Amino acid sequence: MTELRLIAGAALAEPAEVAEASPLRLPPGRHGIPADLVRAHQRVRLLEAAAAALAEQGYGRLTAARVTELAGVSSRTFYQHFEDLWACLLAAYETEAGRLCQEIEGACAALVQERGPIAEADRRGRAHTGISAALGFLAAEPDVARLLSAEPPPQIAALSAARRDLVERLGAMLRGVLVDPDGATPLPGLERRLIGAALALVSTRAASGDPQRLRQLEPELGELLLASL
Amino acid sequence: MAPEASAAINQVDSLGANGGSELAVREGAMEGVLVACGELGFRETSVRAILEHSGGHRAQFYQHFESKEDCFAQAYAVWIERLCVSVLEAAATTPGWEAGVREATARLFQFVAARPAIARALFVEVQIAGEPALARHEAAVERLAAAIDSARAEIDDAEAPPEATGIFVVGGIESCVCEALSAGDPGRLWDALPELMHFAAGSYFGKEEAEGAFERTSILLERERTRLTGAEE
Repeated sequence: MTELRLIAGAALAEPAEVAEASPLRLPPGRHGIPADLVRAHQRVRLLEAAAAALAEQGYGRLTAARVTELAGVSSRTFYQHFEDLWACLLAAYETEAGRLCQEIEGACAALVQERGPIAEADRRGRAHTGISAALGFLAAEPDVARLLSAEPPPQIAALSAARRDLVERLGAMLRGVLVDPDGATPLPGLERRLIGAALALVSTRAASGDPQRLRQLEPELGELLLASL
Repeated sequence: MAPEASAAINQVDSLGANGGSELAVREGAMEGVLVACGELGFRETSVRAILEHSGGHRAQFYQHFESKEDCFAQAYAVWIERLCVSVLEAAATTPGWEAGVREATARLFQFVAARPAIARALFVEVQIAGEPALARHEAAVERLAAAIDSARAEIDDAEAPPEATGIFVVGGIESCVCEALSAGDPGRLWDALPELMHFAAGSYFGKEEAEGAFERTSILLERERTRLTGAEE
């Protein structure tokens, strides 16, 4: 997680004994690191652990105990940060969904900045850039890929709503390239169907345990999402 | 119950076995676990909740199954196979790719409308339950994808769609079903049928065929609704 590395990096700038510690876990005892930084670091570790525990146990067997174990924090610390397991998973989902969208938007913005109006008009090129950025992000973090693509329990309404929000956001991005400024508009709602299908495909590939299979999906997924162009 | 819904129940249930009392207990528990998981969620379902649906005693339950998880896995294998066979049969007995996919999707929607709790277990709760049921789910998706992929017979090699198209189309249809089930409104699936046919045909044949499939499905759906309304009056 980028955020975790940044915070870990900040921690490593502290006293020498900290530099020898694991970048994923702050050293125990007195270390002179400000309390708010410790707290932020714990939170990031918990969010990362929630995704890892979900990939390991699935929704059916997921427990707060496993999340705290993977994060290397006490149960008390867990409940200082989150009301329950689902609040932790929701925070992880929202954080990672935000990062995924930023990754796509950032890659598309960089393309337009680099190539100017030509890239603006090249809808297919922008779409492939966005898809490539998304799959690169997910392949680099397979636990996050599983967290974002798997269907959450509908009983956890906030988590289901977060997934719907992600589908809407990705759908709006896709619609941005499907709409021909000089032609007919695509069928309303088609982008949601396409994103749903793409997430199902990503979920299957992510579950295979081979992140490279996600990266390899790029040309195919691009062609499938743009079939109606 | 709508005629389409009762037809779906008959299609799927007629494939099930019904024999002696032990078999009935086992079948009852397998249906009970899916109904309970569909209504309460996999995590919240207990053996007691299963027995409330199926009847029988704990001792009988444990003669057939090791646990709730085992019961779900066995029930899943049986019911997903029944549904898969029923959907594939609808496609195979309808001439033409587009009409076959439409009939198969309609058969799926009939089942969802008739047995929403079981459908929720088969499509939504399986993601929560995980293995080994999830492997059965993946196998069913691959079988349906292979059937949909018969569209390739009508496409030149030079214009062949990506290898993953079948899985992509099945995933899109399933995500639509999951959305409706999670929202507790399986009835709205019928409104999505033209859109899904647009999506399926477009994935293989491109924009023009997609628009044609949308138009034809909208007309057929409207005709069927008029016929059903007339029959009720």
